[in-house]
Formats: sequence, structure tokens, C-alpha cells
Amino acid sequence: MLVALISGFFAPTLSFAYTGVTIILSAPTPTNLEFVEHFRDELISSKNTALRVKVIDLQETERLVVAENSELVIALGVNALQAASKLKHTTPVVGVFTPLPAFNRLLAASRRDLGNFSAIVLDQPYMRQMMLIKTVMPNIRNLGVLLGKNSSQYGELIKDAGEKNAINVTEESIVQEADLIPKLNKILDSNDALIAIPDPLVYSRETAQPILLTTYRHLKPVFGYSRSYVQAGALAAVYSTTKQLAKQAAEIAVQSQASPGLLPPPQTPRYFSIAVNYQVARSLNIVVEDKDKLQKKIADAELAQYEK
Amino acid sequence: MKSYLYQLLFMAIFLTGESVAYAQESSLDLLSEDDYIGEVPKVLTVSRLAQAPADVPSAVTVINRETIRASGIVDLPEIFRLVPGMYVGTNAGYVYNTNHTLSYHGMTTAYAGTMQVMINGRSVYSPLFGGVNWSELPIAIVDIERIEVTRGPNAASYGANSYFGVINIITQTPSETPNNSIVATHGNGRNEVFYRHAGKADDFSYRVTTGYRQDDGLDNRNDFKRTRFISTQAEYLLDSNDNLEFEFGITDGARGEGNINEDNIIFLPRTKKIDNHFGLIRWRHNISDTSDLTLQAYHSYDHSDDVNTTVDLRPLIAPLDAGLAASLVNGNVVINNEVVQKRTDIEAQHTFTLASNARAVWGASMRRDSTYAPFYLASKNTDYFDLLRLFGHVELRPHEKLTVNAGAMLEHNDFTGTDISPRASVNFKPNANHSFRFGVSSALRTPNYVEEKFQNRLVIPTTLANPSALIYQYRANKGGVEPEQIVSTELGYIGEIGRLHLDMRLFSDRINHVVRDVRRTNFTVPVNTYLLNPDIDRDVFSSENQGSAKVEGIEYQANWPLTRNTRLLFNHAYVHIRETQDGLKRNYIKSMPRNTISTLITHRFNPQWDGSFAYYQTSATTLLGDGDPVDLIRKCDVRLARKFDYGRRNGEVAIVVENLFNDHYQEFADYNTLKRRARINVKLDF
Repeated sequence: MLVALISGFFAPTLSFAYTGVTIILSAPTPTNLEFVEHFRDELISSKNTALRVKVIDLQETERLVVAENSELVIALGVNALQAASKLKHTTPVVGVFTPLPAFNRLLAASRRDLGNFSAIVLDQPYMRQMMLIKTVMPNIRNLGVLLGKNSSQYGELIKDAGEKNAINVTEESIVQEADLIPKLNKILDSNDALIAIPDPLVYSRETAQPILLTTYRHLKPVFGYSRSYVQAGALAAVYSTTKQLAKQAAEIAVQSQASPGLLPPPQTPRYFSIAVNYQVARSLNIVVEDKDKLQKKIADAELAQYEK
Repeated sequence: MKSYLYQLLFMAIFLTGESVAYAQESSLDLLSEDDYIGEVPKVLTVSRLAQAPADVPSAVTVINRETIRASGIVDLPEIFRLVPGMYVGTNAGYVYNTNHTLSYHGMTTAYAGTMQVMINGRSVYSPLFGGVNWSELPIAIVDIERIEVTRGPNAASYGANSYFGVINIITQTPSETPNNSIVATHGNGRNEVFYRHAGKADDFSYRVTTGYRQDDGLDNRNDFKRTRFISTQAEYLLDSNDNLEFEFGITDGARGEGNINEDNIIFLPRTKKIDNHFGLIRWRHNISDTSDLTLQAYHSYDHSDDVNTTVDLRPLIAPLDAGLAASLVNGNVVINNEVVQKRTDIEAQHTFTLASNARAVWGASMRRDSTYAPFYLASKNTDYFDLLRLFGHVELRPHEKLTVNAGAMLEHNDFTGTDISPRASVNFKPNANHSFRFGVSSALRTPNYVEEKFQNRLVIPTTLANPSALIYQYRANKGGVEPEQIVSTELGYIGEIGRLHLDMRLFSDRINHVVRDVRRTNFTVPVNTYLLNPDIDRDVFSSENQGSAKVEGIEYQANWPLTRNTRLLFNHAYVHIRETQDGLKRNYIKSMPRNTISTLITHRFNPQWDGSFAYYQTSATTLLGDGDPVDLIRKCDVRLARKFDYGRRNGEVAIVVENLFNDHYQEFADYNTLKRRARINVKLDF
């Protein structure tokens, strides 16, 4: 109800059905190219072959030229979304591979409306992440979270989601890099696990080692936010594959084709997978069931909750 | 479905309002998709992941940073008093070097060499006598992250010196270290200061620690130690799957040696110089999520510069033969007891998972130890000892309640040829809180230089043609000593009973081919020289394999958080050594205290103040090699600390009193009397 109201409120008065989709790549990375492929496949399998798909590589384009109004723009990556945000305000833009804070900043900076500026953000819902934690560690009581400048705004939402799963979340904020290890040690002293929330100050290529080694030394697991973090040494994570994000994007493209000015609001990934590092689980003496079964359990629980 | 959209919308709107202020900021400030889905370097690769305690094939005591801090120790080996079954003797020895001695379950000599001791995987025991020159290690206690002690033989994983146990000291990685730290200690007979700096530049991180340690030693002994060192540890992240690690250290210093009460003729009190250095490089390569390769190479150099002059020997020889005494070239004989030891070691190790319920590690190493010790080896030539190793270990989980470990090491060395050390164990886990273990492990202890090659003697030149020299011979090893063998059978338990964590071990170790000193009867000296030993009623010794023993007992470690702020650590070991075949060394069966107890209570009064109380008890024992019978020891230590936290700068001031009740007890030998000692320790991180 509220969704419809707000979308309606922001919706521009004029809109025409579009006939094509332009995918803007921040760079021709394997992930982005894979997305394009899956997106095309999804359109084919949904029998929506009428939509033309055009691909523009931002790195090779001086000025974005898009048949404005008659196309839906899907921007892959923050740079692409930033470029797309400068297109005519009536051009519908959906960002993919975009962190929520980046989306919000671009939305504000471009002064665009939610009706024609939307995204499938990279952030997985906190409820979903908490459900994973609770399923993997049913006896967990206390969960620690380190928040930096970017992620500090989500502290309350994370705590809320924890509470709904009977998990008490303790927060420590990192202001400068030197705080990281002392605060991490502090938080690990009193918590059963750590949930990682993306923030370049806290979780970067450089901090992966000290964070994962230190938590491992406390014999406590880290719940990560990406498949790569799990491969690096986190116990488990909720993440969405490129294929899953492409499927969701194709669904948006198809659904909003008739009314381009009425894009669905920014949303979290609908389809998701679970990554588990079974070597880490074994070393921490945590028995983790099959990741596909875990995924199904969480998806079912989510469905049950939304239907309530 | 609706609720999470609401949540997101709420965030979006909330942030829209919020972020207007940021709108003018640089666009570069945006979070990028790389922050979410970018590649993260592999950290907990299979080789870094230890087995869960419930799956481990042997008893392991882990001493973490916090325990080290709470114990208030200044000498690293002191921490092993908190390991059940461990004997720690202070200031043992007086001829070659005066150091802590450490042994697990007995056979303690001043230079006990029955354990494998490693710092970050680098073997630091001395090739010469098998023990560790603890005070000469370029390491600051503040740099230690944790210490893992495997109680019981584990030659299958760590090789022949892993006879009674294995100690692995793990330092903090540079990225875990605060930017700058200063640690200073001042107290009775003790002054030390350390400075360390950690930093990084892109994918390169490093730590440099430098320190000076002044230890005046014990009263009535010439055992002072002055040591300076610098050590470096660095890491370079080549890419997500490759990591290079470097370590480097230099130590030098002066040592007081000699013990006038034990030897007032030949090795007199004097000052000797020591210096050593080492370098290590390690490449960790992550082949896949389930497979790792580690290549490591290191070199170490260890030098003891000791020149000793005896008393005038003429008056001592005169009663035997006045003419001979008068013919000595020089009454005061100068002994060059310089020792240079080097070690070069290259190792490759491959860890991989075979299936979800099986993982394995295998590898090989090559080592060359070289020893130059003109006095001990009676030769100016450098002696080489080569060691080749091939090892493998598998962990299988045939059932979720069962873990089977099996492994073996095949070694070839210059002293005893080719040897194999196997092990196997089964862990049964009826539920997540309890694990029972049954294991059998065999290990060999390769004889050290003292047992295999020592030919140390005092040569006193004369002006005569015959005898041209008088010889006093200490040892004259015949060589060809077989390795000592231990076959250890154990029944272990690890579990949680409420909040109490208990680790218990019942053991029965059979020791065969014990290497002991025997009187050598057929010893002859070169022509035109004269052997003094018969005249002064001193035997010439050689090592031989003789006798067998059985070491049995029980030990346990209880770690009990009594309240949120109080923790109790309690260790007890009961060890009984029996002779099962005649021929053991004298006092062999008394070489381990029957009961050892240690306990550490820590309490946090508030976020600033914390304190700890330690109690150590060792029953009467008789130590071998330079040791003596010593009585029951009871010792209490207290520590009180105040933490300071001023944001970027934080620190701690602590006061430690060792031997609180000032019991004047003897440890290791009757030449070591310990009294109360107090000190203040200040640490500052900035």
C-alpha cells in the first residue's frame, strides 16, 4: 500500500512503454559480461524477445547516448549508475551491483524520483542474514558488529533484525583504522560470532587477514557478505549470484515495460544463495548442513514471514 | 514480501534527507560494488586451519596472549609452568650456557633436548645439545600471539625431536600489531625495554621489534645476561592466492658463565659473548579452496665466543708427580670453547581436503646443521649433520561422531640412518560437548652431539717429549648410538561441563634404548700423551643405549570462568617413572616431580583494574646432568594492573611480585636459590 502510494507520488506524469533495454557497464568485467548474458537468457526464457538489448561500455564512451524515454537503462556498477543518473530525468534507470548507500547518494545528488530511478542493491536484507546465523548457530545469543562511517547508519536496523531472531547485537564503531584490532578483540571477548557489514574502512583487502585471523584465534566465526569473503575464511554468507541478479532485473524490465515511469522501488536481491566454508566450520567444530538445504530453509522462512 | 521493501524504502527516504548535505561531496567518496563483491585474499586457507580441539590426535595446551599477560612473566620459558606435566628449571647449567631448562615428563638435564621448539614453524633447538638457548631468542614476549604445546610425542608431524612434546610459539602478524608500542620493566635484578613499530604500505606490512634485556641472575651465581636484539616480520600479499612472509632477527649480548661451587679449577667464572641471527622466507600459495602449498626456507647462525683460562694447574698436579707439574708449558691452560652452529632448512608442505570428511597434509624437508666446536668435538673441523624428512598425515571422519587421525614421518639422518615414527588415534564425540581420544604414537630421539660426538678434553702441554701433554678427558663417545624410542599410549578427554572446560590425559609411555652415560674402559690417548683421569679418580664417559623405562600417570587442565570477571586455570600432573629394564641412568626415575600443580586466578575488578594470583607447586625431584636433588617447591606470584585508555594512546602499568612469601627455595640444583623478586612493568601503545 505504502509502496504504491510513494511510487505514485514520485511518478512523473508522462510515460510511454519502452521497446529496448540499454545495459551500461562500468567496465567490461567478467561479472558484468556474465550479467548481460544471463539477462538475455532470462528474456528469452520468459518469452520476451521483443525487448532489444543494447550494451554500452562506459570506459569506451565519451558521452552516454541513449534513446531516452524509449529505453530502460540498467546500470551495472556504481560508475555506470552515476553516469546514468545524469541522463534525462524521465529515462527509467535501474542500478545493479550497487551498494545501498551509493544508490541513496546518487538518488539525492541527481534529484531524481524513485519512480524512474531504482536499483537492485547488493545489500542482503538483515533479516535474511540473521536467519542464516540462527540456522547455522541455533544457540547463538550475542553477535558482534563493527561499523564504519558508511555502515554506521544501519546499526539500528541490524539490531532490530537480530532482536527478531532472539540475537543480541553489540555494535562497535570504527573511526580510524588503528581502532580495528583493539575493538575487534573487545567485541570478540563478549560475543559468539561476528557479522560483517560492508564498509571500506572496516572490511577491505588489507583488513581481511587481521580480521579473519583474529576472530579465528578467538575460535569464533565471521558471517560474511560475499562468496569471496567466505572463501577467504568467513564461515557463511548470504549472497546473490550474477545469474540471480540478472533474473530479478529481467523481471523488473518485463513488469515495468508498459509503464516506465513506475519502476518498482529499490529492492534487495530477491533470489539468493548461501556460501559456506566447510573447512572453517570443521575447524571451529560447527556442524553446518548442506548449503542448498540451508538456502531452502531460509527462503521458506522468509516466505512464511512475509505472508504473515 | 512487503516488510523488507518497507525497510528499504524507509532507509532510502531516511537517507535521502540525510544525504542532501553530502550531495556536494566528491563522487569518489561513493562505496563501490568492489566493497561488496570484490575479491578478498584467502586468509584461512586449509593449511592455516587447525583441527578442532575435539578432533586433535593429541593433548594440546594453548596459551594465549591474555594468559601470558596475566601470568606476569618476564622470561618466556616460565610460561610453561602453566602446562600440565611440564617441568621448568631456572638458570640450569654453568659450563656452556646458563638457561632455563624445560622438560615434559622428566629426564631433565640442564640442556634437556626432548622437545621440538619452534617459533612460527622454525625449529630453534640447538643442534649441539638439543635444548633451547631461551634467553638468546630474538623475541619479545609482547610479540607473542599464542603458544601451542602438544603434550606427548608428535614426531609424525614435527620430526625426531618431537619426543616428549612440541612447542610452537606463534607471533602476532604485522597487521595485528599496533603502530607503536613501548614496553619497559624495572625490578629486582631486572631491567628491560622494548620498542616495536608496525606499518604498512599497500600490500606490504611489517613489524620491527627491538629490545634490550638486562638480567642480573641469581644471588651467588655468575649468571648475568645482557641481551640486545632486533627482529622483523613482514608480509607481502602478492595476490589473492599468494602470500610471502619474511622474518629476520639478530641478537647479541654477554653472559656470565661458570660456577665456582661446582668447578673451581677449569671452567671458572667468566664473561662470554653470544651473537646469533636468522632469516626466513615463506610462500603460501592457495591452489584452490581445498588445497594449499607452503614453501619455507630459513637459515640460522648461532655463535658463542667463550675463552676460558683454568687456575694454575701446577700445584694440583704436583702431588701426583712433581716433575710433571714443573714441566707444564703453562700452568694456566687456555681453553677455546667457541661454538658456531648453523642450520639451513627447506620445507614444502601440501595440505588438501580429499573429500568432505577427509583431509591430508604431506610434505618433505631437507636440513643441514653444521657445528664448529673445537673443544667439545676435539677437532677444528666443522661437523655436518644432514636430515631428510618425508611426512604425511590424514584426518578422516567416517562418522560425524568419529575422527581418525593417522600419520608417519620417515627420516634419514647422518647419526642413525633411516627411521620411521608413526602415530594413530581415534576421537569419539558422543555429542558436541565431549570428546574421548585413544591414541598410540611412536617417536625417536636422535642422539645429540653430546651423546654421539663429544670428545671434550683438557690438553695440558708439557715441555717433555713423553708425555708431550697431559690429558684430562671428559667424554669420549664411541658413537653409533641408537635413537631412543618412545611408544606413548594415551586416553584423553576434552569437554565442557557447564562452563568448565576440562582436558584430561591418562598416559603410559614406554621408553626403550635409553641413552645413558657409561664409563668407558677401553679408552686410550694418543702416543706420548698421558691420561690424568685414573690418577684423579675420574671416569671417562661415553653414551650407550641401556635400559628401559615406563612413564605413567594422569594430568588434567581445568579452565573455569567462575564469574564474568573471574577465571580459574588449574593444572595438575601425576607422573610416575619406573625402570622396566636394568641399566638406566642414576636418578633417572626421580627426574620428574611426582606431582606438579599450577594455578592461575585472574580477576577483573573493573575495566581499568585487574589482578592475578598464580600458585606453583613442584614435588621433590632429582634432576640429571648438572642438576641435583631439590625439595618441594611452593611459589606464589601476584600481579596487579591498571589500564589506561586515551583514545589513540593506551597502555598499562603492572606490578608483579614473584615468590610473594619469600621462600628461599632451590630449583633444578642446589646452586640456584630463588628469593622474592618484584618488578614494575609499563606498556604503552600509540
